[in-house]
Amino acid sequence: MLAVTPRRDITHRLREQLGANLGMEPIPGYGPLQASPLSTAKGCGIDVPKGCAMLLAPAGNLEAAKQAFQAGADAVYVGLKGWSRGGARGEFDCEQLRQCIELAHALGKKVQLAANIIPKPQERQRLLQQLSELADWGLQAVILNDAGFLREVRRKLPGLAITASIGCGALNTDDALFYQDLGATAIVLPGYLEPEEIAAIKAKASIQVEIMLHMVQEFIQLGKCWMPSYVHFAAADRIFPAQRLGGSVKRGGVGTCFRICQQPWTLLNDGVEADQRLFPSRQISRVAELAAFLDAGVDVIKIQGRSLSAEMVSVIIGIYRSAADAWKCGQKGEWDPPALPAMWTVQGR
Amino acid sequence: MGSFELNTTISNLRSLLESDLSAYDAVYLGNIYCRLFEDNFLERTDDLKEGIARVKDQGLRAYVTSYAAPRNDALPKVQIALETAAAAGADAIEVHNLGVLRMVHEQFPGMPAHVGGFANVYTDAGAEVLKEYGAVRFTPNYEISLDEVESITRGAGIPAELQVHGKMPLGVSDYCFLLEYEQHWPEKCPVLCQKQLFLKQGDWAMRSVGKGVLSGKDLCMLEHLPALIAAGHTMFRIEAAYETPAYRFQIGQIYRAALERAVAGDGTVDESAWQVIREHTAVGLCNGFYFGRTGSEYVGKRVEAVAACS
Repeated sequence: MLAVTPRRDITHRLREQLGANLGMEPIPGYGPLQASPLSTAKGCGIDVPKGCAMLLAPAGNLEAAKQAFQAGADAVYVGLKGWSRGGARGEFDCEQLRQCIELAHALGKKVQLAANIIPKPQERQRLLQQLSELADWGLQAVILNDAGFLREVRRKLPGLAITASIGCGALNTDDALFYQDLGATAIVLPGYLEPEEIAAIKAKASIQVEIMLHMVQEFIQLGKCWMPSYVHFAAADRIFPAQRLGGSVKRGGVGTCFRICQQPWTLLNDGVEADQRLFPSRQISRVAELAAFLDAGVDVIKIQGRSLSAEMVSVIIGIYRSAADAWKCGQKGEWDPPALPAMWTVQGR
Repeated sequence: MGSFELNTTISNLRSLLESDLSAYDAVYLGNIYCRLFEDNFLERTDDLKEGIARVKDQGLRAYVTSYAAPRNDALPKVQIALETAAAAGADAIEVHNLGVLRMVHEQFPGMPAHVGGFANVYTDAGAEVLKEYGAVRFTPNYEISLDEVESITRGAGIPAELQVHGKMPLGVSDYCFLLEYEQHWPEKCPVLCQKQLFLKQGDWAMRSVGKGVLSGKDLCMLEHLPALIAAGHTMFRIEAAYETPAYRFQIGQIYRAALERAVAGDGTVDESAWQVIREHTAVGLCNGFYFGRTGSEYVGKRVEAVAACS
């Protein structure tokens, strides 16, 4: 992990290293995408910084990735057009992704790819091919959502680190062992778990544990909700004709989460109106408890929000970076977290 | 097993004792959503033992289900339920959580595992993995179509169990939507979630069961049973974990008779069945996602009969 560096110094170094690329022009020496055969030993694996967990930031665009790195993220995760859950939150095309990887490498940082929809059987080969190419470019890890595809990627791309997405719904020690068996490198757990639960998982499982300490906890668990397609499936078909499977976001129904949980519902008790209300949801941000999670052995601190602006990513990552560095310096319990940005709210997600 | 299996779900011993199960071949015991559900079989070892014995005494197969989304604090109880199920001669364990599937596979290798709808089986590749962990059947994720189900069964070589009637699960939560209403209503946890509580928005309705959301409409595949049989499906579920014993009995009878006719090549539907279904339906009928449409739609020829249930 890099030492804490004033942001202006990082920016200066970035400019020196990348020159005009900070403006997102194509990186010299790289042409258009070329197909390559499936490889068998690619990718650089998750390399958690020694002594402290990796800080993994969301990036919905290149500017957000830059800001995240500047603010102290060790890695960013990004979506690739057509293959990531919640595409409306921001996805990269291949060229942007390659530029992001180059940017990360120039800074000694890493990029993970959220390919966390469930591909149709006839799409699997194409996605495998694409992952192979991306691994050749230096992609660190891929985030996947389906146990079957996860195992297939492990077998065909053994050098690529794989993270079992939060959409896999893992919550407990045996879940971690299950995905460890399948060959996942890491598993993502929701931020409402307690440090004791993480410690118990780490005591039995060798798989790396990512925890999404900064996220919106919606009423229904991530990956276990198909309320939107119960209400709106046909509309999704009209909006995205034949582009992807219909249904919930994890099927790749791009944008088909209609946020029905964020609309008021009338609760009827035996047919009598009892209340008008939203499904409960809350913003989780456990930066004040970060030390307890790090003590518990968390390997990766993950921040939700590929839809966040670059400025917001920078602020949030900066706060978590400071907290993690304070822990690393032994300042347990002495770090007073600043207030979260007011814009980061459940409604604004 | 005969040419088909019709099964249902029962959450506790009281409901089991009140239910006439003569229409069924098998029963899933336990409530998958909440540890606090009234006398949940999964929390009460003696009740679970007795439940398994009573089901088997009736010549039915006894399956024990497990929690949809257990955190570590629930695993010791899951472990006890698994041990109880194995010792009492349960015929299978239903798993919705892949960690629990691994527990069953590791500790009870001879115990058949039925993969439940919350395990998110969407593809043949996913089903193949679970088969290697001892799964002998799977309930597909509720939002996939019959065509996709067929692709999985053919590709992975594992049969599907299909919900054919009842409110369809739409989501599971880590906390209860209803607890805050305890102060306002005479009903308290653990019976509050058994009330007829619906969430409505315009024409849409969903049923809240506290830690879960179910379709407001009852999924109904009655007129499509001949097609399901013709497609090779043999395992069917009437979802009734939050329904009355009368619902379980009368809907079960309708489906048993219809399945027997379908197996015999008679695709007719007893017209009187629609009246019974209507009496047990609060906000109408749907087909779920089986035909690749919005889950709340109904596809079929019996439009008038179905409309009368709304």
